[in-house]
Amino acid sequence: MISSTYTKIAKDRRFIIRTPKLTTVFLMIALPLFLLGMISPKYITSLVTDIVIFSIYAMGYDILLGFTNQFSYGQALYFGLGAYGVLLSVLHMGVNLWTGIIIALTICVFISLLLGSLSVRLTGAYFVIITIIFNLVFYFLALSWVWLTGGDDGLTFTVPPLDFLLIKLSLNDHIVKFCFIFSLFIISFLILERLISSPLGRIFIGIRENEERLTFLGYDVFRYKLIAYVVSALFSGLSGALYAIRLGYASAEFFSLSLSALPIVYTLVGGMGTLIGPVIGTIIILPFTYFVGALWKHYFIIVGALIILLLKFNPKGVIGYIMKYR
Amino acid sequence: MLLPEILVKILFNLINGLIWALIMALIALGLSLIFGLMGIVNIAHGEFYMWGAMLTWFAIAFFKNTLFGIVLTIALLASLGAVLERGVLRTFMGRPTYTVIATIGISYILQQVALAIFGGWPQAVPDPIKISIPIFGVGYPVYRLLLAGIAIAILVSLLVFLYKTSLGLQIRAAMQDEEMASAMGIPVSRIYTITFVIGAVLAGLGGALAAPIVQVFYLMGLDVLAMAFIIVIIGGLGSLRGTILASLIMCPLENLLTVFITPTEARVVSLLVMAVVLLFRPQGLFGGARG
Repeated sequence: MISSTYTKIAKDRRFIIRTPKLTTVFLMIALPLFLLGMISPKYITSLVTDIVIFSIYAMGYDILLGFTNQFSYGQALYFGLGAYGVLLSVLHMGVNLWTGIIIALTICVFISLLLGSLSVRLTGAYFVIITIIFNLVFYFLALSWVWLTGGDDGLTFTVPPLDFLLIKLSLNDHIVKFCFIFSLFIISFLILERLISSPLGRIFIGIRENEERLTFLGYDVFRYKLIAYVVSALFSGLSGALYAIRLGYASAEFFSLSLSALPIVYTLVGGMGTLIGPVIGTIIILPFTYFVGALWKHYFIIVGALIILLLKFNPKGVIGYIMKYR
Repeated sequence: MLLPEILVKILFNLINGLIWALIMALIALGLSLIFGLMGIVNIAHGEFYMWGAMLTWFAIAFFKNTLFGIVLTIALLASLGAVLERGVLRTFMGRPTYTVIATIGISYILQQVALAIFGGWPQAVPDPIKISIPIFGVGYPVYRLLLAGIAIAILVSLLVFLYKTSLGLQIRAAMQDEEMASAMGIPVSRIYTITFVIGAVLAGLGGALAAPIVQVFYLMGLDVLAMAFIIVIIGGLGSLRGTILASLIMCPLENLLTVFITPTEARVVSLLVMAVVLLFRPQGLFGGARG
C-alpha cells in the first residue's frame, strides 16, 4: 500500500519535471507560425493572421471556461464591441490606431464590469442563459441601429498608420499588419501566462475545482469570477479590434452567436484550462473550416458533429490526448 | 363603429400577439419540460421549431397537404428527439456544460442540413383558408383564429396528459425528485427519452402552426429561441403553469410595443425584462415551486 503510494508520488514528480514550461511549448508553436506567415503567399499570411487573432480570442475565453469553469455563450458581445470600438473611434474621432484600440478595450472593460457584476452571481444554466441574452441584446441592437453600425452590411474604414517608435508604419502592407498583430498575440500570451501562474491564477483554478471550499477559505469568489470575466472580455475585445483592423471592416455579424461559439470549439478541441490548448485548437480548426468551407458550404455540419464527438471521446482536447500517452 | 386608427392597430397587435403567445407557449413548454426534468439548456430547441415549419412548408408546397405536413413533423421530430436523447445527450448526463455545448453542435447540424435540403431562401406558406371575417371593419383572416384553436387544443391535451394520466404523473414525479421517483419504480431513464421527445414534438408543432404566419427560413430558430428563453425564465424554469402565463403576458406585450418602437427594440425590452427577472427572482415571477 505504502510502496504503491510512493511510486505514485515518484511518478508524479517525474511527470512534473518532464512537463515542459508553458512558454517553451508556446514558442515551439509560435515560431513556426511566424515563419509561415512571413514567407508564405499573401492568402496564407492572411490565414495565419486570422489564426493569431482568434487564438487571442480563444485564450481569453479559456480564462473563463477553462480556469474558472464559467460557461459563457456570449463572448461575441465583446468581440463586436472591440471591433466597433476601434472602427467607430477611428471613423468619427479620427484618433490614431493605438488610441482607437485603447478606447475599444476601455469600452470592453466597462461593459464587462457592468454586465459581469450582474451575471457572474448566477451559476450553471442561468449563467449560460444570461450570457446568451446579453449577447443577443447587443446583436439585435447592432442589427437595428444601422445609422451607427451599418447593420448587416457593416462599415468599412481606412486603417490609420501605426505610430511605432516615432516611425509611422502603414498597415496597408499585409506583412507589416501581420507583424503588428503577431506581436500583440505574443504580448497577450505573456500577460495571460503571467496571470495564470500568479497566485490569482491559482485562485481561478481553485474556483474551478471547488468553489465552495474557496468560499470557506475566505476568498471572495464573486470578485475573482468577475476578474476572470473582465479579463476574458478584454482579450475578446482585443481580438475583435484586431479583426476589424485586419479586414478594415466590421458588421453586426461580429456580435452573432456563431462567433460566440467559435472560442468554445477552439478551446474544446485544444483542451481547456491549459492556455496553450486554445491556440492549438485554433491552429487545427480555423484552417480546416477555411479550406473545407471553400469546398463544401455546409461544413458547419462537420463542425457540429466534431463538437459532439470530441465531447464524447476526448473532452480534454489535443493537450489531454498528448498528456495521456507521455 | 369606427375606431381611431391607432386603437385598431393596437387591437390587432393584441390579437396577433395572443395567437402568437399560444404558439410560443407550446414551444416554451417543450423547453421548460426538458429543462425541468433533465436540466438541459437546449440551444437546439429553435432548430426543432424551424424543422417543424420547414416540413410543413415542404408538405404544402409539394404535396398540397397540410395534414401530411403535421404528421411528417410529429413523426420526424419524435424520432429525432429519441435519437438525440439516447445517442447524444444521454452520454453527458450530469455535466451541464457539456450538454449545452453538445446542443450547440446539434443546432449547427440541424441548421445546415435544413439549409442543404430546403435551400436558403425565405419561403412563405400560402394562407390555408382564404376567408376573412370583419373585426371592427377590418378583415381578419380566419385561419389565424383556427391556428389559435389548434394551439389551445394541443395545450389542453398536453395538460390533461401531464395531470390526468399515469405517464404524466410519472413525468411530474421525476421532475420533482428523480431519485425518489426511481426508488418508487418509475423507469426514469425511459421517462427522460419520452420527455425529450415530447419537448421536440412541441417545438415542431409550434413551427408547423407558425409556418403560415412567419417566413420559413433556416435561421428562423434563433428569434424563437430567444423568445422561448425569455418566457421560460420569466415564468420560472421548469414551471409549466408559469411558462403558459408568461407566454400569454410577454407575447402580446411585445407585439403591443411594436406599435411604438421597432420590433428589434421591443425584443430588447423583453430581453431586459428577462435579465431583471433572472437577477432578482431567478425562480421566475409565477410561483416558486417546480411542477
